Amino acid sequence: MIVSFALRNFNRARTRTRITVGAMAFACAIMIFYASLLEGWFAGMEKNAVGMDLGEFQVHARGFRADPDLYKIIAEDETVLAQLGRAGFVAAPRLYASGLAAAGNASSGIELRGVDLLREPLVTAINQHVWQGQWLAAEDQAGVVLGRKLARILGLAVGDEVVVVAQAADGSTANELFRVRGVLKSVGEGVDRSGFFLSATSFRRLMIVPQGVQQIVVKRQQATEDLGRATTRLARLLPNYEVRNWRQLQPVLARLFEMGDISLVIMLLITYAAVGILTLNALLMSVFERIPEFGVMKALGFSPWGLFAMIVVESMLQVTVAVLLALTAGLPFSFYFSIHPIDFSQFVQSSSTIAGVALDAKWYCVVTVNSVMLPILFLYLVSGLAILYPALKAALLKPLNAIYHH
Amino acid sequence: MNRASVSVCLFLALMVGGGIFLQAGTVASAPPPPSLDEQEARAILLEIDDLWRATSSQGTVRMQVKTANYTRTMRMEMWSKGKDKSLVRIISPLKEKDTASLKTGNTMYTYLPKTDRTIRLTSSMMMSSWMGSHFTNDDLVKESRLAEDYEPRLSFKGKREGREIIEFTLQPHPDAAVVWGRIVMTVTAQGHLPLLATYFDEDNVLARTIYFSEVKNMGGRLLPALLKVVPADKPGEYTELVYESLRFDLDLPESLFSLLELRRR
Repeated sequence: MIVSFALRNFNRARTRTRITVGAMAFACAIMIFYASLLEGWFAGMEKNAVGMDLGEFQVHARGFRADPDLYKIIAEDETVLAQLGRAGFVAAPRLYASGLAAAGNASSGIELRGVDLLREPLVTAINQHVWQGQWLAAEDQAGVVLGRKLARILGLAVGDEVVVVAQAADGSTANELFRVRGVLKSVGEGVDRSGFFLSATSFRRLMIVPQGVQQIVVKRQQATEDLGRATTRLARLLPNYEVRNWRQLQPVLARLFEMGDISLVIMLLITYAAVGILTLNALLMSVFERIPEFGVMKALGFSPWGLFAMIVVESMLQVTVAVLLALTAGLPFSFYFSIHPIDFSQFVQSSSTIAGVALDAKWYCVVTVNSVMLPILFLYLVSGLAILYPALKAALLKPLNAIYHH
Repeated sequence: MNRASVSVCLFLALMVGGGIFLQAGTVASAPPPPSLDEQEARAILLEIDDLWRATSSQGTVRMQVKTANYTRTMRMEMWSKGKDKSLVRIISPLKEKDTASLKTGNTMYTYLPKTDRTIRLTSSMMMSSWMGSHFTNDDLVKESRLAEDYEPRLSFKGKREGREIIEFTLQPHPDAAVVWGRIVMTVTAQGHLPLLATYFDEDNVLARTIYFSEVKNMGGRLLPALLKVVPADKPGEYTELVYESLRFDLDLPESLFSLLELRRR
C-alpha cells in the first residue's frame, strides 16, 4: 500500500519531480564520468610508474637502496631468477651505473641501465613506450635508448652519436661511442632526465661487470594476487635480499593513489550537497502542501511510520529514476572517452610530472565498478539524509492540527 | 668521496706544482693584531704555500689507488701554468694511455682517446671520482683559499713520536664558503715540511688524512715525494701519489693548455 501511495504521489507534482530527478540524474551522471576519468588518470600514472619503470616488486642486494653502488650486486642472479620463475613470478635482471653522456658541446649526468632484452618486456612495457625510433635490439649493441628530456638536453635525435664516460668496476675510465636508437615517451622525472638504456651485454662490456646484477624487477603472474601477500611470499623466498613492492618503493605515489579515492569522496559530497539541498527543498514543499492530506491519512489510521516510509519510498523512487537516467547518459559518455581520450596536450607540458611520474596529456576514462557504484551509492545516501527531516516532520504531525492547517 | 675543498689544494699544489696556494700578500686580513702564536702559525702556512708556488711546473707522478673493489696503478705527466691552468696526461696503463684532463679556470675537460672525443665535465660529474682515485673532479677544479678562508692557530709545539713537530689548527672564517669544519696540519719543526694533514667535516668528524713522506730534492726544492690520502669512512682504502720528477718555473707555452693540445697523443 505504501508503495502504491508513493507511486501515486510520484506523479502528482510533475514539474517539481522532474526538476528534482533531473538535477539528481545530472549530478550522478557527471560524477560517474568524473570518477571514471579519475580512475583513468590514476591507471595512466600507475601504468607509467609501475608498468614502465618500477615494476611491481624490486629485489636488491642488502644496502643497495640506501647507497646505490656498482659493487652491491645480486651475484647469484640466474639462481634467483630461476627461483622466482618456479615460485610463479615473472622477473627480469637490471644493471645500473652512473656516468656522463656527451654530444657536441652538451653533456649531462646519466643513469646507465643495462636491460635484459628478452626478459624486460615480460615485466614492464618500456619497450613499447618509444616516442621516436626503436627499442633496443640484440643485433645493434651500439644502439641506445634515451629518456625524452635527456635527448633534448643533449640535442640528440635518432641516429646521432653519443659518448658515454663512467667509472668502470675496475676503477678505469669507461668510455664508448653509442648511437641513439630510440627516444622514450615521458615515463617519469628520473627516466626522462637521466635514463640511458642499453643492452645488458653492452653494459657489462662498458662497465666491466662480468657477472651479477644490481636489481631484479618482478611481476606477479596473477595480477589478482594481493600485493602485500605476494611481497611476503617473495621476501620468504629470497631472505638474503631486500624485497620491496612498488608501494614501498614509491610511498608518495602510493599515498597519492589512496588520496585519489578520498578526493573522489570529497567531490561526491560537495556535488551531492547541492543535490541534497534541492531534494530537501522539494520534499519539504511536498510535505508542507500536503499537511492536511497527511492529517486525514493519519485520522484514517495511517501510522506515523507508515507516513515516514511512504515519503522515504517516494524519494527513493525519484533517486532510482535519477540513477537509471544517469546510467543511460553517464555510462555511454564515459565509455566514449575510454576509447577517445580527452587531449590536454595543449595545456599539459610533455614533461609534466606528479610525484616524479609522468602525467599523460591524454586522459582516458576507465569505467570500473567503483567508478559507477560509488556515485550511485552516495546519491542514495545523501538523498536518504535529505529526506529525514521532511519525513519525520510528516510522521510526527498531529492529525487534528494537520487537517486544519492552512 | 668528500666534497671538494681547500684540503686538496695541497694535493693539487704537489701534483701540478703550481702556485695554487695564495700569495703572501693576500693573507693578512684579520683586523685584531695576531698573537705571537698566530703570527707563527700564519708564517708556517705561508712557508707551506711557498713550497710549491711557481709560475709553472712539469712533473711525472705515479698514482696507486686501493679501494675495497680494486687496486690500480697509473703513471701520468702533468703540467701547470699560473694557478688556473693544468694538464694531466696518462702514460700508463695502456688501456687508458693518452687520456687527458685539462683544467682552465673552473672548467675541466677530459679527452678520451678510445672514442677520440673531448668532454667538458658538467656539475653533475664534478663529484665523481677523478681517475678512480679518492679525489673528485671538483677537487681538481677548486682553487685554494686556505689562507683566506681559514684562521691558523698554533695547537702544539714539541716532540711527538720522537720528532720535533709543530701542529696548527685551521678554523674557517665564519663567512667562508668551505666544507671543512677544521683542518689540523702537522709540520716538522725544522724546515716546516708537512707531515700530516687531517680534515674534519662540519660536524667535527674526521673525513680524511693526508700523510706526507719521502722528502727529497725535486726541481731544486726539498719536498715530500709521497702523499697518501686515506679516507676516514673507507677503512683500508687509500690513494698514493709518488712524485717521480718535478720541475719548476719552466717556459711553458700557453698553447699547451688548449683543447687542441689536449687531443695530442
